[in-house]
Amino acid sequence: MDNKTKIKSLIFLIALCLSSIIYNLSSGVSYAVPMDSARFKIESANVEIAGGNKSSSSYKLADTVGQLAAGQYSSTGYVVKAGFQYLHSIVPFSFSIANIMIDLGTLVPNIPSEASTTLSVSFGGAGQYQVTAIEEGPLKTQSGNVISDTVCDGNDCDETNVAVWNLPSIYGFGYKMSGEDIPAAFVTCGSLCYRRFPDRTALPVEAPAVVMSSQDVTVDLTSKPKDIIHASTITFKTNVSSIQPAGSYETVVNFVATPSF
Amino acid sequence: MKKKILIIIFSLFLSSIIYHLESQVSLAQQVSLSISPPLLELFIKPGKEIMVAYQLKNSGDPTFLNLKILPFEARDNLGNIRIKSEFEGPVRFSLDNADLKLEQTFFLKTNDSQQILLRIRIPENITDGDYYYSLLAETIPPTSSEGIGSTRAKATIGSNILVTISNSGNVDIKPKIATFSTMNGIAFGKNIKIFDSSDKIPVILTVVNKGRNMIKPEGQISLKGNFGETTKYDIISKNILAESERLLEATPSADLSSGIYHPSSLVLSGFFIGKYSLSTQMKFGDNSPTIFASASFFAFPFKIAGGILLATIIIVFIIKRRKDE
Repeated sequence: MDNKTKIKSLIFLIALCLSSIIYNLSSGVSYAVPMDSARFKIESANVEIAGGNKSSSSYKLADTVGQLAAGQYSSTGYVVKAGFQYLHSIVPFSFSIANIMIDLGTLVPNIPSEASTTLSVSFGGAGQYQVTAIEEGPLKTQSGNVISDTVCDGNDCDETNVAVWNLPSIYGFGYKMSGEDIPAAFVTCGSLCYRRFPDRTALPVEAPAVVMSSQDVTVDLTSKPKDIIHASTITFKTNVSSIQPAGSYETVVNFVATPSF
Repeated sequence: MKKKILIIIFSLFLSSIIYHLESQVSLAQQVSLSISPPLLELFIKPGKEIMVAYQLKNSGDPTFLNLKILPFEARDNLGNIRIKSEFEGPVRFSLDNADLKLEQTFFLKTNDSQQILLRIRIPENITDGDYYYSLLAETIPPTSSEGIGSTRAKATIGSNILVTISNSGNVDIKPKIATFSTMNGIAFGKNIKIFDSSDKIPVILTVVNKGRNMIKPEGQISLKGNFGETTKYDIISKNILAESERLLEATPSADLSSGIYHPSSLVLSGFFIGKYSLSTQMKFGDNSPTIFASASFFAFPFKIAGGILLATIIIVFIIKRRKDE
């Protein structure tokens, strides 16, 4: 290889490297999947949305729906208010799951497998919310083999009650929680305690379990709402026996985050 | 020398590709949604319709979403809700977006927002009453991996819609104070509660709404001491749904996150001596009746008195022993 060719190959490699770095940096900003459609935007809605600090008549409207709204009600036929009136502003409600693909790995008989994810809720200064969870059926393969939900070591846990699950001879699928706003039972029982998810396919129908909730309005009414994030960790655990048929076991857990009213 | 440079550039290139592949794997996992406004209160006549603009933002990885509306009811008296599995009620919902429909999957990129133009229509000849719904945005779970045990998470975020239908513009206000008392303490008889002077005193206030429409209290809890000194706490104006009960909270308040005092309406803290009277009064609009309730408690410095008594006994014992010696 003569000098000219060497320089050319060097330049080519540098250009390749630079373009790769530039691509990586740009991909960190967004994964542009070309799925835009012809959406339209309305900059302001055609209804009155109460927001911001108000000492005017629009705030008084919040106090007495029937009386002060009467004039507007008779003319338009409706009165609409958005957000929590005692906050005097509209704070968006946010919910995050750090990892939605919870990989329990290759299941080995009598060796429990665990995986965790983090749930986060942000609600400005008004902390009143709940997160519920329900599984869309037990862990099962496409051919219908099932890993049942756990009953814990003493056959004493269910969709609401929490109990110790530490024996390798107890099989099933369950979860435990740690962090903020979790059910008190997980705090009092300790880190070896689990319970089972309610099952949407079960008969009789099982109600979703509350996995995070806060009743406290943490805002100081005299100040602006603060940005508060409440987070907890949910750990999924499964343990199978040696007679458990081989296969890819999976389920979907639906986490529903709703603010209060 | 040139060889070395070539190796460095090549390894830089390879590590860059590896980093990119890794980041692609981990980034495709997170869901982060926010919705605004989180609550909508609508007071409307039969035969009317309105359109409300919501903002749904995806701060996580690109995801497919689905919008739906489901009714809810109060789960308990703490403000939690129970979402019903099937749609019911006379209120009609649809989207004004050109390319979006309820129960139809759409795609939302990272850091992208979707404006949801929700049309709410009340048919004619509907009986007056309240109807409660949640606007839910749910993600479509990712596809599963072969050969491993896996749990896929579906994230759903909701915003509540409280609809009051009234032809005349009047609402049915029938509130009743169900509980107004202090928690813990030593009970003597039905109405007398005794605390130590340094105790934190939790107060419970629950209101039952027996009417057909939701109500919003406005009022105060007052604490009056022996010498007429009074402290007032504003009740937070939360909605009490039709035919339900709710624990009200007052502010400024003490440590509500503590398990001992939770859930409570107010935690009184300070140094109390003697008899204290608690009272509350609230109304639900200008022409609504004002409702009252009262309670009282006694506080004495038992712990300090016990300490002084114990110290006296010890001192007397020591003096007596020295005299004997």
